[in-house]
Amino acid sequence: MIIVIGVSHRTAPLPVREALAFPRDQLRDALLRLRAETGAGEVMILSTCNRVELYARQDDPGAVDALESFLARYHARDGRELHAVVYRYADADAIRHAFRVAASLESMVIGEPQILGQVKEAYQAAEEAGTLGSALNALRNRSLAAAKRVRTETGIGRNAVSVSYVAVELARKIFGELKDKNVLLVGAGKMSELAARHLVRSGGRATVLGGRTFEKAAELAAALGGKAAPLESLRDELARTDIVISGTGSPGIVIHEADVESARAARRGRHARPLFLIDIAVPRDIDPGVRKIGGVFLYDLDDLKTVAEANLRERLKESAAAEALVEREVREFLDWQKAREVVPLLNELRRRAEEIRRHELEKARRRIGPLTAEQDEAIVAATTAIVNKLLHSPTVHLKEAARESDAPEQLSLIRKLLGL
Amino acid sequence: MSSHVYLVLVLIFYAVGALHVLLQTLTRRRLLVTSWTVAATLVGFALHTAALAQRWTEAGHFPAVGLHDGASLLAWTMVLVFLVIYTRSRLEALGLAVHPMAFALVLIANLTPIAPVADPVLKGLFLPIHTTLAFFGYAALFVAFAGGLLYLIQERELRSRTPRTFYYLIPSLERCDTLSARAVEAGFALLTLAIITGLLWSHAVHGRYWTSSPKEWSAVVAWCLYVALILARQRSGWGGRRAALLGIAAFTAVAFTFVWMNVFALPGAARTP
Repeated sequence: MIIVIGVSHRTAPLPVREALAFPRDQLRDALLRLRAETGAGEVMILSTCNRVELYARQDDPGAVDALESFLARYHARDGRELHAVVYRYADADAIRHAFRVAASLESMVIGEPQILGQVKEAYQAAEEAGTLGSALNALRNRSLAAAKRVRTETGIGRNAVSVSYVAVELARKIFGELKDKNVLLVGAGKMSELAARHLVRSGGRATVLGGRTFEKAAELAAALGGKAAPLESLRDELARTDIVISGTGSPGIVIHEADVESARAARRGRHARPLFLIDIAVPRDIDPGVRKIGGVFLYDLDDLKTVAEANLRERLKESAAAEALVEREVREFLDWQKAREVVPLLNELRRRAEEIRRHELEKARRRIGPLTAEQDEAIVAATTAIVNKLLHSPTVHLKEAARESDAPEQLSLIRKLLGL
Repeated sequence: MSSHVYLVLVLIFYAVGALHVLLQTLTRRRLLVTSWTVAATLVGFALHTAALAQRWTEAGHFPAVGLHDGASLLAWTMVLVFLVIYTRSRLEALGLAVHPMAFALVLIANLTPIAPVADPVLKGLFLPIHTTLAFFGYAALFVAFAGGLLYLIQERELRSRTPRTFYYLIPSLERCDTLSARAVEAGFALLTLAIITGLLWSHAVHGRYWTSSPKEWSAVVAWCLYVALILARQRSGWGGRRAALLGIAAFTAVAFTFVWMNVFALPGAARTP
């Protein structure tokens, strides 16, 4: 039986989650202690900034308490206090939870892609510590495969929900391909750097404008594989560029309507391609009046957030499809697991039949006397065929019976009937 | 089966694509084209081809005269052009325009009687050659029109800064613009050839190239607008909004030509070509 206990952003505030987190360098030690102290057969720890969860394979039903007290003991927390924020799942619920976490259905931002990598790493760490066995390993394979299906087959991961990705997506909605698009950074802030990095990765060419802190601009330009230019060349650069990311700390307007107008006039003779202005500065850098100019798209921080929220709503709409898919995968896994429970019985049955066959074969050989090689082979083949044919239908039915809810009773009855 | 029965079946199959597009837009979902709508459209198209073949044998001339035949043939060329573009570029948003349009045209064809025609003018090769060129031209120019429309809608979405359904449904401005530009080039070439064959046909029938009928004028006006559009794109780097608007304006002239030809200029000795 697989069990899970843990805390997440839904049940516990950040300070509690922080206190319960397992740092990466202590994970191995924690895994080994967890296994030793709870007596579980297999254990795994998932520790991210939004959740801390302990997974175990343990046949004792009281094991959830053992896991919970381990969590309190390890971090030297009060057990009763912890009890209020910890969720506990066993068996099918635990499996469903594991699938949902990996598929990002339990994430704070539904559909966010990081969780899949974090779950992978958690299993990896357990594998390296030697605390992963066949049960958790099966859970790992199936839940990760299901998570990948959710990503590719539903829209849950589509549409950016972070401000810098939204900027990149908008650029794609305007320009299509971003290859060889000129990206102009005004000011070398953290957020503009993040957005610029995404754009450069998609093939954009960066130019960084620096004012008083020209060195910083040069540094960022080098990091982005682009060039730096002084702020005075703003109009020239504007005429050349497709995308502007402005994020200076300036108290006033940096890019005026007249700047954009002159840039548009300069390029009108050639290609009147769109100009996408992203203003992530507070207070704003770009005069909102530029919105009147044809072919100019200006998004400020609030606009980007509006788009991010709309995208999130789109994701939530897709989550129903994702939920259904995960539920199907969980069912399949549970069926598979139950079918596996009959494997020992089947093996035993087969072993017993084989034993009888050999025994009777020997007796027959002794009674008949010497045989030619062909004759002996024929007897062996005949007996094997009898055993296989007799066992075929019980094998099929046992596997089917395992899926029924009263499987344990049925299996013990079958054991009795077969004298195993 | 008579061509009528075929055409009813075609309508049912085209309705699948049209309804799907409508429902997806209303429920704000994003799958405009799915494997089963493509399958339904393909079956509809096959039946449509059979319907046209049947109609050709029934009429004894190329089925392109009058509203019944004209609408049906135009829908057929549009669906064909859509399927070709879709297999090449997976451009789903085009379905927004083509599916309802094809459905509407086949519906019109179903609701209008076949125009009685007994005109020697309709015999001969001019009718199939001229109308095939013209209709494929119309279909390509409709795609250009749709591309321009999609561009304007997406531009409005981007300008509003609050994404709604169409923001998610329509591809990038660049893609709409490119689609429109390519389709105008193809449509213009076909339209030019159609006008030339039309003039030759007129000469063969009436003894003069130019009969000064409204559809001749509108065809020439459309042709001039497309020349202007192509030159503006190539020479002065026009694109985007202005190109979309001019393309839409030019298409209204094309639409007038079609409507005049197939609705008002009903078959009789005085009309055609």
